[in-house]
Amino acid sequence: MADNHLEGLAYFGQFGIDEALIRTGLQAALSRGGEFADLFFQYGQANSLGLEDGEVNRAYTGVELGVGIRVVRGDQTGYGYTEDLSPQAVRRAALTAAAVADGPARDFPQAFSADIVPSRYPIARPWSDVHPGEKLPVLQRLSIDTLAADPRIQKVSVHFADSSSAFLVADSQGRIAFDLQPMTVLSLSCVAEQDGRRESNGFNLAGRQGFDWYTAERLQYMVGQAVARTMQLFDAVPAPVGEMPVVLAAGSSGILLHEAIGHGLEADFNRKKVSIYSDKMGKAIASDLVTIVDDATLDHARGSIDVDDEGNAAGCTTLVEKGILQSYLHDSMSARHYGVQPTGNGRRESFRHVPMPRMRATYMLAGPHKHDEIIASVKKGIYCTNFANGQVQIGAGDFSFYVKNGWLIEDGKLTRPVKDVNLIGNGPKVLEKVDMVADDLVIDQGGWTCGKDGQSVPVSQGMPTVRVAAMTVGGRG
Amino acid sequence: MLQIAARAVERARQLGAQQAAAGVYRSREVSIQWRDGQMEKVIEATSRGLGVDLYVDGRFASVSTCDMRDEALDRFLQDAVALTRTIAADPFRQLPDPQSYPQWARRSEPAPIDLELEDPDYAQVTALERRELAEILEQSARKGDSNGAILSVTTSVSDSIDESWRVHSNGFSAARRGTSYWLGADVSVQDVDGRRPEEAAYAGSRFFNQLPQAISVGQLAVERALGRLGSVKPASAVQTLVVDQRASGRLLAYLMGPMSGAALQQKRTFLGEKLGQSIGSPLLHVQDDPFVKRGFGSRLVDSEGIEAKPRVILDQGRLSMFFIDTYYGRKLGVPPTTSGSSNLAWQLGSLDAMGLIAQAGEGLYVTGFLGGNSNATTGDFSLGVQGFAIRNGKLAEPVAEANIADNHLQFWPRLVAVGNDPYPYSSMRTPSLVFDKVMVAGT
Repeated sequence: MADNHLEGLAYFGQFGIDEALIRTGLQAALSRGGEFADLFFQYGQANSLGLEDGEVNRAYTGVELGVGIRVVRGDQTGYGYTEDLSPQAVRRAALTAAAVADGPARDFPQAFSADIVPSRYPIARPWSDVHPGEKLPVLQRLSIDTLAADPRIQKVSVHFADSSSAFLVADSQGRIAFDLQPMTVLSLSCVAEQDGRRESNGFNLAGRQGFDWYTAERLQYMVGQAVARTMQLFDAVPAPVGEMPVVLAAGSSGILLHEAIGHGLEADFNRKKVSIYSDKMGKAIASDLVTIVDDATLDHARGSIDVDDEGNAAGCTTLVEKGILQSYLHDSMSARHYGVQPTGNGRRESFRHVPMPRMRATYMLAGPHKHDEIIASVKKGIYCTNFANGQVQIGAGDFSFYVKNGWLIEDGKLTRPVKDVNLIGNGPKVLEKVDMVADDLVIDQGGWTCGKDGQSVPVSQGMPTVRVAAMTVGGRG
Repeated sequence: MLQIAARAVERARQLGAQQAAAGVYRSREVSIQWRDGQMEKVIEATSRGLGVDLYVDGRFASVSTCDMRDEALDRFLQDAVALTRTIAADPFRQLPDPQSYPQWARRSEPAPIDLELEDPDYAQVTALERRELAEILEQSARKGDSNGAILSVTTSVSDSIDESWRVHSNGFSAARRGTSYWLGADVSVQDVDGRRPEEAAYAGSRFFNQLPQAISVGQLAVERALGRLGSVKPASAVQTLVVDQRASGRLLAYLMGPMSGAALQQKRTFLGEKLGQSIGSPLLHVQDDPFVKRGFGSRLVDSEGIEAKPRVILDQGRLSMFFIDTYYGRKLGVPPTTSGSSNLAWQLGSLDAMGLIAQAGEGLYVTGFLGGNSNATTGDFSLGVQGFAIRNGKLAEPVAEANIADNHLQFWPRLVAVGNDPYPYSSMRTPSLVFDKVMVAGT
């Protein structure tokens, strides 16, 4: 374990950032009586390559460098940011943020130290060392194999994205935290035609992984999934309409947790009393089969973090245990409000954004039932396997998620595929109706991105096979 | 800043790019959030960046950076040109035909037309004024709550000035400045069964003195929030839908996404063979008008520098155009139109939402969506909705946890009425719309 503090300063030294600049920023930030201040320096490079019509014929690169300066006084936040890292610009941005307070200047730290930060996503070669020429065969392989897999495939596109982001956060308590966060997303999509009808679908993989993650087997798996998910659509029958039992497949069904409860447990909403889970701590909010965690520690997961964007330790937080609400997701500000330890959920999209409580990898723990037993238990319902997106109303608790691929369940058997159907329910009501949970937890490896107040952060989600006794299925009948 | 863009183009050419286009932006934003009687958040910043499109030996890359230090910029461009050389050649990539640029941009002259996108008094707005507006928004919302149902009111006041400069190596140079101001109020209320529904009202303008009264925005927000109390899940049924002006733009956006040249060339559109054909009722008549004074989508050139002009998108239900940029135009072998819409202009009807509701008699009034999606390849869509039941031409109980599903090619022909009330706070400017016989899923 390297000394995090010195490693961070060495890394950001290449951009002219040193302890003197940090002190300049913090001094200005605290000059108007702010109780707390932090500086979030970030450097990131994102690369992507696109394949269309058989050729890798477009390349994109984006470089981000800047600092965000936050000043806190009570529940009030002042924020400024700049891409100009000269001492004058940093000082100017800090003074802007400082204006949220109105009082005599406070002391700023003269020395800094760091806690030990774990290393949850080491990669053999940083993405900056991987030449774009090395990536081309990956995109070409996916395209060739997908076209060869089925004569009905008309179009294939592939998008290969990788990024390296580094941040250093220094605060008025003299703490420094530094992290290097790799990320890659490989997306394959295709359009197929059969009897004059067209359908499109795809598959993507994402993680805090390096280039060697994309093994031949993994690419083969992607092709198989993308083609199968597309072809299945040709056999789909109209989805049913109204309330019925819904079985959620192991894996990306974790989107239900993300929408039905994850957002509602973000402590900022509860601090403001606008979540349907406000005032529910310690109470039963789900069936006793339901245990839900939000976990920053999974190796190489898209939603994992070594440390949060406020420099707080990030572990695994149990949100619901056997149906009882145990914890909210906290950033520093909400933790102070509730008088608890931060849970390491203070995240932000970039240096241009104020941190707030956000999910990491949210999943339900395995239960006592078997997958086949759950399918067999349903007389008429649907089985949902792949998802596109979801949304929630924090206060009313209503949420929905869009099912891209699913199956009808008739007399305990998967009969015919269904597609493109939105499911809608109310968070607490649906969680009470979780009446079977299987022993087959899967953490999905898709490229999930969570949006809140205009900020996007990468997340993961997971689920065992689960039965919800009733949810509204928005088909056309 | 124009010089930075011009220098980036020149440097890219020196490094081996046959063509290059560079854009520089600078924007200043100030936004405050006020909650329950006190300031909650103040954000103020000036931000900037550079983007360059490179055309090197028939190859294409698009790169951006906000590290504008001279030495960093030079290494960035060197790396970008080297990156471009590693990928496959694409014979369809090139800058737009210079003939498609307006003459003033070809001559590097200022634009001769003023679309009034910039409030000349932008710098005059003070921190105190913003704070007062935020307070008025909250107070007016609280005044509308006689039963103490309000749990929390969050209001916001924000403004920004955005400047951009664009230079193309084949003779294009243009600058653009615009301002915008926004007011918002979010109100959460306590329902008897433990639910805490929230609703909001937002309003924006390019000119400060054209913003609506903060009082009216706060009043609307609380009215909407209180309207959610006691909402019920409806029975599943086929219904007439009256879609409110603030929701209807999303339905149109789902119809217009598949009109892009990329969707057409990649066969990801259900509109592929529909050009010139009827895809909706004769009431579906929508034009693109880039020259609206003070419009959110107004522009003299599109994102590629092509001279803007008014166009008919949907002509009495017939699909009149696709949004085709230079690249996909060349790939498809057709002339480009424009890369995307500016301000939409509907042929309006004579009734507002309440008039349409009275005319509908029975049905569902949709005020908002909750999640859902639309399949661009097939036209199938399924969307969560909330709103109110319509009975005897009047609004009845609030409805939540419902869903609508249809296919665009069957849905738009059932557009039976268009309101007179285009939504003023979006470039989509879509009025309330009425659709017949839509499947609503509930219990």
